[in-house]
Amino acid sequence: MTVLPQLAPLRKVNPVNSANTVGSSKLSIVDLTKRYAPGLEPAVDRLCMDVEEGHLVALLGPSGCGKTTTLRMVAGLMDPTAGSIVVDGKDITQTPVNKRGMGMVFQSYALFPHMDVAQNVAFGLQMRKVPSGEQAKRVNAALEMVKLAHLSKRKVRELSGGQQQRIALARALVVEPTLLLLDEPLSNLDAKLRETMRSEIRSIQQRTKATTLFVTHDQDEALDMADRIAVMNGGLIEQYDTPAMVYERPTTRFVADFIGQANFLTAQVLSENGQAADGERYYKVEVGGLGRYSAVGAPGLAGSSREIVIRPHRLRASLHPRPGDDAIAGTIERVSYTGDTIAFAVRVGDRRLLAQSMTSSADMPRTGDAAYLSWEAADAFLLPGHIRGSGT
Amino acid sequence: MTAPTETQQLMSVRAGVLPGALEKAKAARDRRTYLLLLLPAILGLFATFLLPLGYMVKMSFDRGAPDGVIESAFTLDSYVRALSDPYYWQVIWNTFQMGIIVGVLCVLVSYPIALFLVRTRSRFRGLLMAVAVAPLLTSAIVRTYGWMVILGSNGLVNSSLHSMGLIDAPLKLTNNMTGVEIGLVEIFMPYAILTMVSGFGRLSSQLEEAAGSLGANGFQVFARITLPLSLPGVLASFLMVFVLTISTFVTPTLLGGGTVQVLATEIYDQTTGVLNWPFAAALSVILLALFGAIIAVYQRLTRKIGG
Amino acid sequence: MGFYTKYRTAATALAAASVLALSACGGGSTPQAGSSTSGEVNIIAYASVWQDQYTAAVIKPFEAKFPNIKVNYVAKRSSADMLSALQGQKSKPNTDVAIMDQSVSQSGNQQGLFAKIDQSTVPNLANVPDKFKDKNGYGPVDMLDAIGLVYDTKTFPTPPSSWNALWDKSNCGKVNVVAPPSLLGLSLTAITSNMQGEDYTKSIDKGVAKLKQLAPCIQTFSPQPDEYQNVITGQTVLGLGQNARGQFYADQTGKKIGVAFPKEGTAYQINTINLIKNAPHSAAANTFINYALSAEAQEAFAKDLFYAPSVSNAVLPADVKSRVVPTDGSLKILPLDVDFMASIRDKWTQTWKQEIIPAK
Repeated sequence: MTVLPQLAPLRKVNPVNSANTVGSSKLSIVDLTKRYAPGLEPAVDRLCMDVEEGHLVALLGPSGCGKTTTLRMVAGLMDPTAGSIVVDGKDITQTPVNKRGMGMVFQSYALFPHMDVAQNVAFGLQMRKVPSGEQAKRVNAALEMVKLAHLSKRKVRELSGGQQQRIALARALVVEPTLLLLDEPLSNLDAKLRETMRSEIRSIQQRTKATTLFVTHDQDEALDMADRIAVMNGGLIEQYDTPAMVYERPTTRFVADFIGQANFLTAQVLSENGQAADGERYYKVEVGGLGRYSAVGAPGLAGSSREIVIRPHRLRASLHPRPGDDAIAGTIERVSYTGDTIAFAVRVGDRRLLAQSMTSSADMPRTGDAAYLSWEAADAFLLPGHIRGSGT
Repeated sequence: MTAPTETQQLMSVRAGVLPGALEKAKAARDRRTYLLLLLPAILGLFATFLLPLGYMVKMSFDRGAPDGVIESAFTLDSYVRALSDPYYWQVIWNTFQMGIIVGVLCVLVSYPIALFLVRTRSRFRGLLMAVAVAPLLTSAIVRTYGWMVILGSNGLVNSSLHSMGLIDAPLKLTNNMTGVEIGLVEIFMPYAILTMVSGFGRLSSQLEEAAGSLGANGFQVFARITLPLSLPGVLASFLMVFVLTISTFVTPTLLGGGTVQVLATEIYDQTTGVLNWPFAAALSVILLALFGAIIAVYQRLTRKIGG
Repeated sequence: MGFYTKYRTAATALAAASVLALSACGGGSTPQAGSSTSGEVNIIAYASVWQDQYTAAVIKPFEAKFPNIKVNYVAKRSSADMLSALQGQKSKPNTDVAIMDQSVSQSGNQQGLFAKIDQSTVPNLANVPDKFKDKNGYGPVDMLDAIGLVYDTKTFPTPPSSWNALWDKSNCGKVNVVAPPSLLGLSLTAITSNMQGEDYTKSIDKGVAKLKQLAPCIQTFSPQPDEYQNVITGQTVLGLGQNARGQFYADQTGKKIGVAFPKEGTAYQINTINLIKNAPHSAAANTFINYALSAEAQEAFAKDLFYAPSVSNAVLPADVKSRVVPTDGSLKILPLDVDFMASIRDKWTQTWKQEIIPAK
C-alpha cells in the first residue's frame, strides 16, 4: 500500500489483476457485479477490492449504495451476477454459504430465539461436529471474551440490545471464521451504547486478528473503527483508503461531502507555488468573484478548474483578519453553540460557508457581524477529479 | 452526531428510575382504560356466547322425556346415561380420534403451503394468499358435495385409479370415516394455513441465513431453526383444526353416509330427531370438556415451546 | 294373513278410542286477537318444494279470497326446527300457525305451545273425520302421506311390489335407507318387524336381524342431498321415500323416478295444522286454518304435492286419487301412533346405530 490512493483511477480502486496481489490478501473481490434483474442498474458494479489479513474494512455509504449487497455476496447469501470472490487464494464464488466458514453478525443480530445464550454460541461448533467438551470450553471462552459468561443460560429475549449484540459477535467468532462479516451491527443500539460497543468490537477484532468486513452508513463508526474505508456510491467504490486519507484527502466531491462536513469552492488553478508534503504542490488559485488564494493538491493541476474542499474546523471565523493570511470577508448569519465547539454559518456573496472553532476564543463574532474567514493553504485541498460538466 | 442527545439521556434516566408508586398508578389507570375499551366486547360475548352456553349447561341438568317435553329439574340423568353407556364412550373416542387424524393430516399438508406463503418474495404473494384461503368463500356444504362427487364409487378418484389399472373394484371412499376425514382435511386447510401463516411470526429469513453462515446445511437449517420456530404456529393450527373438526356436523353427516357416529352428529340427532334436548345438552357439555382438555394440553405444550 | 286382520282390528280400535276421547273433551275456546278478515298471519312450515307448492296451492288462493290478510311464511328444514323456534318465542309468540309432523306437534301440545281449535271459529273442522282430530282438541291432521319405495323406473319397469326388493341381491350397493331418528327408518323397522311376524310394540329382534342382513347392501344411511335425488341421478336404484315427494319428482323428471306402496303395507307421515297459543293474530289465523281445512285448499294441495286430504268433503280426480296415499282402508297401514313412536324413537335409533349400521 504505497500507492497514494487519492491518485488512483476513480472506477477501479486497487484492481486485483495480478497473481501476486491475490497471494498477499486475505480477501480479494474481483469485478463483483450484482444485477437484481436484467435491464436494472446494477446494485454492485464491477467492484474490486483487497482486504489484508487482520484488517477491519468498513463498507461505508448511503442506503442503496450496494454495501450490504456486497457483504451478502461475500457471505454467500446472494449469488453474484458476475465476478469472483477469493479468500486465502481460493475462489469461493460458487461455495455455498454453509461451507464458507465465515462468521456473520446481522443487523437484527439474528439470535435463535428458541435457544439460550450458550446454545446460540455453540450452534456453529455443533455444525462443525466439535466434540462437546471442547464445545463447552470454546463457548465459555467466547462468552468470556464478550464479558457475558454469566448469562450463558439466559433466554435470548431476556437480553438487552447490547447484550444480544455481544452474543451475536461471540457466536460468529467462536467458530474462528476465515472472515468476520458485520452488517450494520450497531444501528439498533442507542447512541451511548453504540460508542461503547464500537471500541469493544474493535478491541475484540484486534485481539482475535479476525479479518473483518463491516457494513455501515455511519461515517463516525467507519472513521473510528476501520483500518480501511471503502466509500461506496451507486454500486461503485468512490475511494478505498485509510480513515485519515478518506477524511483529509477525499478523491471525489461525494466522498468529501459524505464524510463529515465540507465547504466547496470552485476555483481556477493559476500556477504552482512550491512543494508541499507527501509530493503534493501548493497552487495559486482564483476563486470566482472572491479573489486569489492558496491551496494544495496533486501535481499537474495548474491551468485547470478544480473544486477546493475546506473542512469547517479548518476555517477560522474572526472579527479581524490576521495580517498575511488569506481571508474572505462575509457576514455571520447564524451562530450555533454546541458546548465544546461553536459553529458559524457565514454568508459570502451568494455562498454560504460553514466554520467551526473551539469556544475559548476571545475574538468571537456574533450574528450579524461582518467577519473574516481565513485558512491555511495546506487545509484547502484541490479535489483531483474534474468538476462534473466542466471541459478541463 | 455521535454524542447522545440531551433528550435521549433524559429518557434513559427516566426509564431507569421512575418511582415504583408512579408506575403502579399508571398501570392502574391503563387497566381501567383497557377494561372500558373491552366492555362492549365483553357484553357482546356475554349476550351471544356465555348466556346461551349457561342456558345449555342448565338444560343439561333438566329431565328430558322422549316426547320432547323438558322438565325443569336438577338431575344427572343425562350425564349418567351418556357416561355409563359404552356406545357413547365409543362416540367420544370416534370424535377424539377424528379430531386428531384430521388435525395431523391437515397440518401436514398445509405446512409446506404456509411456509411457502410466509417466505415467498413473489409479487403475487397477495394473490397466492387469496387463492389459498379462497375455498372459504364457498360453504363447507358445497365443498362437501364436491368431495362426494370426487370420492364416489364412480367419482374422479376411483375412475382414474381404475383406468390406470390400479384397482379392480372402486375403493370405498365415501359413506365412511375415510371420506369424512379426506373432506375435512381439505375443508379446514384454509384455516390451518391462515393460522400457521400468522403463527410463523418468529420465523425470519435472517435466522435461517445466520444458521447457514454458521455451517448448517439446508436440512439442518430446517430441523434446527425453521421447524422449532414454526412449532407454535403448527400447534395453534392443529388446535384450530381439531376444534373445528370435533364440532363439525355437516361433513360427517354428508360424507359419512350415516355410518360415522361422532358427538356432533349425535347431538344433532338428539336435538332434531329424538327431541331429547337435555341429553343433547349433556353431550354438548361433554364435547366442551373435550375442547377444554385439548386446550389445556395445548397451553402446556406452548408454554414448553415458548419457554 | 291373520296378522293383518289383527292389526287392522287394532287400528280400528285405536281410532274408536280417539273418537271416544274427543267426545269427552269439549275444547275450550280462547279469546281471539285481531280481526278475522284483515291483518296478517305468520305461519311456520316446511321449506323448499313443500313451501313452493303450499304457497301456490293454498296461500295464494287464500290471499286472493281474503285480500286484506297477508300471509308471512317462515320456512324451516324440519319439524324439530319449527318446534325450537316456537319454544324460543313461547313467552311472546310472533307466529300464528304451524304445520308440522304430528309427533312433533304432539310434543308442542304437551309443552303448552299450541291452543285448542274450536269448531265455532274453524267451521271446517266439522269435515275432519274424528280419527284425524286431536283427542284433546288441539290442531287436527291437515294432510297425510306415507312411506313408500322410491325406485329407478329403468331398473324397475314394473314397480316393486314388496319391501323384500330392498333385500334383493341384484340391487345390493345401490340401495339407500334413511336411518332413524328419521320417520322413514323408524317406519321401516316396524314394517320389517311386522313382516317377520313380530309384534313390534313388544320386540323388534327378528326385524333387527333381518335389517342387519340388509345393512351391507346399503350405500348410505343418510342420503344426500336427499333420497329422491339419489335415485334421479342414478346413484341408487331403490330406497325409502315419501309418496308425496316421490310422485312430485316423478312428474318433474319425466317419470325417471317412481314411488310405490308395497303390498305388506306401510306407515303414515302425518302433518297437523296448529294454532299457536297466544298467537298475535289468532282471529286471522283461525280464518287461515279454516281455509286450509276447506275442500278447495285440500284438493289443490293434493293435486300439487300428492298429500292425501284430511277432510271428508274433498273430492279428488281419479288420476290424483290413485297417486295419494289411500285413507279409506284400502292400503294396510301399520298403526304407529304418536305416543308409541315417542316411546321407542330413541331406543330404535340406538339399535340402528349400535347394531344395524355397524353390520355394514
